[in-house]
Amino acid sequence: MVTKPIRVLIAKVGLDGHDRGAKIIAKALADTGMEVIYTGIRQTPEQVVSTAIQEDVDIIGLSSLSGGHEALFPRVVELLKARGSNIRVIGGGIIPPEDASKLKKQGIAEIFGPGTPTKEIVRFIKGACQEPVRDEESKMLKQIDHIGIAVRDLEKSLDKYAELYGAKATHTEVMESLSISIAFIPVGEVLLELLQPLAPGKGRIGEFLEKYGEGFHHIAYRVDNLDRVLAKMKENGIKLRDDKPRPGADNTRIAFISPEETGNVLTELVESKKL
Amino acid sequence: MEKIFQTDSAIEVKPLYTPEDMVEAGFDHSRDLGSPGRYPFTRGKDSTGYRKNPWIMYQYAGFGSAEETNKRYHFLLDHGETGLSVAIDLPTQIGYDSDNPLASGEVGKVGVPISSLQDAEVLFKGIPLDRPRQISATFNSNAPIWLAMMIVLAEKQGISPQKIGVRIQNDILKEYIARGTYIFPSAPSVSMATDVIAYCAEHHPNWFPLTACGYHIREAGANAAQEIAFTLANAIAYIDDTVRKGVKPEKFISKIPVFFSCGMDFFEEIAKFRTMRRLWSRTMKERYHIDDPNLLSLNLVVFTAGSALTAQQPMNNIVRVAVQTLASAIGGCQNLHTCSMDEAYCTPTEEAVKLALRTQQIIAHETGIVRTIDPLGGSYFIESLSNKLEEIAKNYLREIDETGGAVKATESGYFQRQISKSAYELNRQIEEKERIVVGVNEYVDDTGLPIEILKVDPGLERKQIDSVRALKKERDNVKVKQALRELKRVAEIRENIVPPCIEAVRAYATVGEICDVLREVYGEYTGASHF
Repeated sequence: MVTKPIRVLIAKVGLDGHDRGAKIIAKALADTGMEVIYTGIRQTPEQVVSTAIQEDVDIIGLSSLSGGHEALFPRVVELLKARGSNIRVIGGGIIPPEDASKLKKQGIAEIFGPGTPTKEIVRFIKGACQEPVRDEESKMLKQIDHIGIAVRDLEKSLDKYAELYGAKATHTEVMESLSISIAFIPVGEVLLELLQPLAPGKGRIGEFLEKYGEGFHHIAYRVDNLDRVLAKMKENGIKLRDDKPRPGADNTRIAFISPEETGNVLTELVESKKL
Repeated sequence: MEKIFQTDSAIEVKPLYTPEDMVEAGFDHSRDLGSPGRYPFTRGKDSTGYRKNPWIMYQYAGFGSAEETNKRYHFLLDHGETGLSVAIDLPTQIGYDSDNPLASGEVGKVGVPISSLQDAEVLFKGIPLDRPRQISATFNSNAPIWLAMMIVLAEKQGISPQKIGVRIQNDILKEYIARGTYIFPSAPSVSMATDVIAYCAEHHPNWFPLTACGYHIREAGANAAQEIAFTLANAIAYIDDTVRKGVKPEKFISKIPVFFSCGMDFFEEIAKFRTMRRLWSRTMKERYHIDDPNLLSLNLVVFTAGSALTAQQPMNNIVRVAVQTLASAIGGCQNLHTCSMDEAYCTPTEEAVKLALRTQQIIAHETGIVRTIDPLGGSYFIESLSNKLEEIAKNYLREIDETGGAVKATESGYFQRQISKSAYELNRQIEEKERIVVGVNEYVDDTGLPIEILKVDPGLERKQIDSVRALKKERDNVKVKQALRELKRVAEIRENIVPPCIEAVRAYATVGEICDVLREVYGEYTGASHF
């Protein structure tokens, strides 16, 4: 499995010019294969955050030897939050232990004092940067887009939903290419997608009904960028039913993952163009 | 594989040195050693050593506000400090008043904020400028302002400048190389530095207008040989520039001290101090054809290495500083600053700084070091090491000369690359335990932090900001504007800016305002970021 190198921004915040430590860390991290950007000295928190976002880094290492950490480190965390970024922040320099624990409470993931072996910092960054990947993956799924249910007779089913719950379809569509006609019933932010084959036994839904009868067919998660998600899955060797996004109902782009990858739950990924 | 023993500067050392090593090194007693106070000054700056007076004892101090720092100065002087070393906060060092938004969070953190003459007046309240044997300050990018403040302050205190020992750091090149408090591009910056030299040569010939600093270069990771060479190269750049301004080198060359670090490699550091004195006098004699040998003796300022202090088991630092103090005294320094044991955490507490001062006093008064000059002179080992260091340093100097001198070498990043390489190598040695640092990579124990930490009252920043704002309202702003206009005019025609700086300071123009005028004329330096 090919993994992307961890990207690190080493930044000197404040007016302090002592960057021997920052440079050693930068070089040590680069030597382990990370992609390291060093900002140079005298950066404002605003500049650091802009650079970090622009350079798409996984983690920021802040350094201050002038006592500026008290105000400047938390400010970086604040600004990142304000811009909706989940880039981790670690710090180092001349930082009394009392301040270190305070900074951790303010959202700095870890403080490394003078004399910390670089290996320890490397280990921490590797650990911390795997988590954001998991984070990203859980955030990859923005929400449940819809739940697909296979039905033999769309009209009848819609009547049943109306009778049971007073629920109505807001959108119906015939998709000739897939030999289905579908109807969407909104439930909160999630849609129920009722799927009926255009003729008995026709298309995937037809086959499904013949094999299993009516019932739950698939779950669809909404993603922001389907191309990127598919690329990542391919990179990780996940089997896909659709290698490339294809047009879905209601002006969306979709792709299915092979059910054997998802515990036999047929899973669809949806990218809505109306985001 | 046999273990190789080498010094911090990667000089391989033998298990034993004998007279044969002296022969092998081509050692010539009268040429290489001579007598203390005589060319080439290997054995000492003057013939009396410490018998008349021990070295000037400094503690680098400044934090919070001028008022707080003034209290600390009284405390230190009352406890026997003989030199007063003004630590300036970062905003002031890079030309921002305390009320500048960019200064936020940094006011009074690593030094005292001096936004105007008013702060300097408070700083020296109750301290006649001639009470300490010497007063030094870390003004570099804007040193003409500090010079102006000292001149005006002496006037106000009614003390003759002849009776005051003023020493200004004023070494801007090492700021680009290692320390980072630059403001302007290198050419006008060097010119400002040499304005200070030129002005003092004429008006205050007993003052030390520039201190060539190897300390920060060493702290950034250079080794001892690089420290010698790079410092000398920078000094040459200033001297050349001053000479270009029409000042004879005889008028100022003996007033340029060298400021060195003292690390833990005891013998190499001692050899380094001796080598520097010798190479300095030889270089100055050859380059500037100075006949009077008295002008060739180097004034050596030493500061124990902050980078040798560990945050782990901070009490251990007391021992380190004591060893470094002894090495500095054996090496024959004129001034010594000692670090406090808590400096890997904070600006020193009163207790910690007193202990650092006491360390100097114990070494001076209890070890017998003051009785005999250059006690290790003639040691086979020390002399061999001194010769070796000189040889390596000369090679570096040649390289720098070939690149076109220190200013060019700074601009091209030559120094920075050399330093990064050494720093990384040193760090590797520590991480791989080729070098043991007690409490860091061996004899580690996590017994918490038994020392007290100095907390600068955060309210002081607010107070300082208010005071700067009030001053800007209350002073005679017509005078200030006039003075700043005159400064601009002089800066634009590239004449010596010290006289208009004096008038601006006298009118209570602030450091920020003066630097803003100069920023307009000279532009600003934007840093590089290689690692």
